[in-house]
Amino acid sequence: MRFDYVAPVTVEELSKYKKDGGRLFSGGTDLFVKIKAGALKPSLVVDTKKIETPKIECEEELKIYMNTTYTDVLKSECARKFDLLLKILIEVGSPQIRNRGTPVGNIGNASPAGDFLLSTYIHDGTVVVAPSMREIPISEFVKGPGKIDLSDEEFIYAVSLKPLDGYITYYEKVGRRNAMVISIASIAVAIKMQGNVIEDARIAYGSVGPTIVRFKDLEEKLIGERPKRELFESLAKEYSDRVKPISDVRASAEYRKKLVENLLMKAYLSMNL
Amino acid sequence: MIVIKISFKLNGKWVETDVEPHKRALDFLRDDMEMTSVKEGCSEGECGACTIIVNGRNVHSCLMLAVELDGKDVWTLEGIVESGETYIPEAYADVGAVQCGFCTPGFIVSTKVLLDENPNPNEEDIKKGLEGNICRCTGYAKIIEAVKEAARRKRGDAS
Repeated sequence: MRFDYVAPVTVEELSKYKKDGGRLFSGGTDLFVKIKAGALKPSLVVDTKKIETPKIECEEELKIYMNTTYTDVLKSECARKFDLLLKILIEVGSPQIRNRGTPVGNIGNASPAGDFLLSTYIHDGTVVVAPSMREIPISEFVKGPGKIDLSDEEFIYAVSLKPLDGYITYYEKVGRRNAMVISIASIAVAIKMQGNVIEDARIAYGSVGPTIVRFKDLEEKLIGERPKRELFESLAKEYSDRVKPISDVRASAEYRKKLVENLLMKAYLSMNL
Repeated sequence: MIVIKISFKLNGKWVETDVEPHKRALDFLRDDMEMTSVKEGCSEGECGACTIIVNGRNVHSCLMLAVELDGKDVWTLEGIVESGETYIPEAYADVGAVQCGFCTPGFIVSTKVLLDENPNPNEEDIKKGLEGNICRCTGYAKIIEAVKEAARRKRGDAS
């Protein structure tokens, strides 16, 4: 497979190469796998790593820029209090993948199994799109598997996550091997208590629909309630009924529906609300 | 044919050469630099046989282009051994953590990065540090034992 290579240093140049059909990469952990498999045959690959940006910033929100790797985030002082995010990132791929792969690339790939993508949903993330630097909530940005709201000349510049201070969190990814797993299903839960009632609840699932799944109306059913087992049991059934997973090489749709129910119960029982 | 000039440090020595833009770091290191410890296994980032160290971190050379090595500090098993850091390969050999040996260079490279960051890893740290490398002969018990032995020898060297 032959292709040309460029590594532009400005946002404008990068944007132009993308508009002309270049395939962008930073760590290459998705692009070079697709090229090897013959799924993509680019004539030009565009290395984004010469674009100078900060790596990571944390004021109120945690802002992760393009070219920042999973390892960079995991080692960053800044990300320390984002404990759910760290739990998710340490399970991504393997050391070799985390050393090259990037959170921004995971959003660009927009797989419903994307581990970092799941964290952006639970953290009410916002995507910053270059060159205009327009900002868009993650749930509006991702349109479906591999489909994102980007025009030909646009690319993802950064992603911002809102903190989950004071939340009790849970994360689990179900797969067949520990490392390098593409999840059969995954769940992230964040619940904030006020006294003995639930003040806020967020529940996100990966790999059980065309993209990450969050149902705000079901989350709201928990708010103001005491965290009783029966409440979570009925809610877990509602999630299981509502999700529309597919059957694929990793698992059947029915198995995934059962996982959706069981994972929420496991989260509930583990969190000691 | 279009080529791109790169200049990088390979096993401690600066190298300047031309590479084709589409050439993988894996093929470049094996065929042009004759670093044949770098193995081609799955070619898709699953098996870790092609693992090399770039700027202190272990990465897959199969998912990296040769041009990306420009300006970098790159290490393969050859360099690790030549620079006298033989305690890891020796520990693998002494413990019997090698059968066919195809995966071994990748394991040793990942072990070096693990021990450089954490000289006293527990079993969980070792499993986590080596989770990107697959062995299809021995199972992992001997490999984990080899890493523990290498860690002991490394700490011993330092004291």
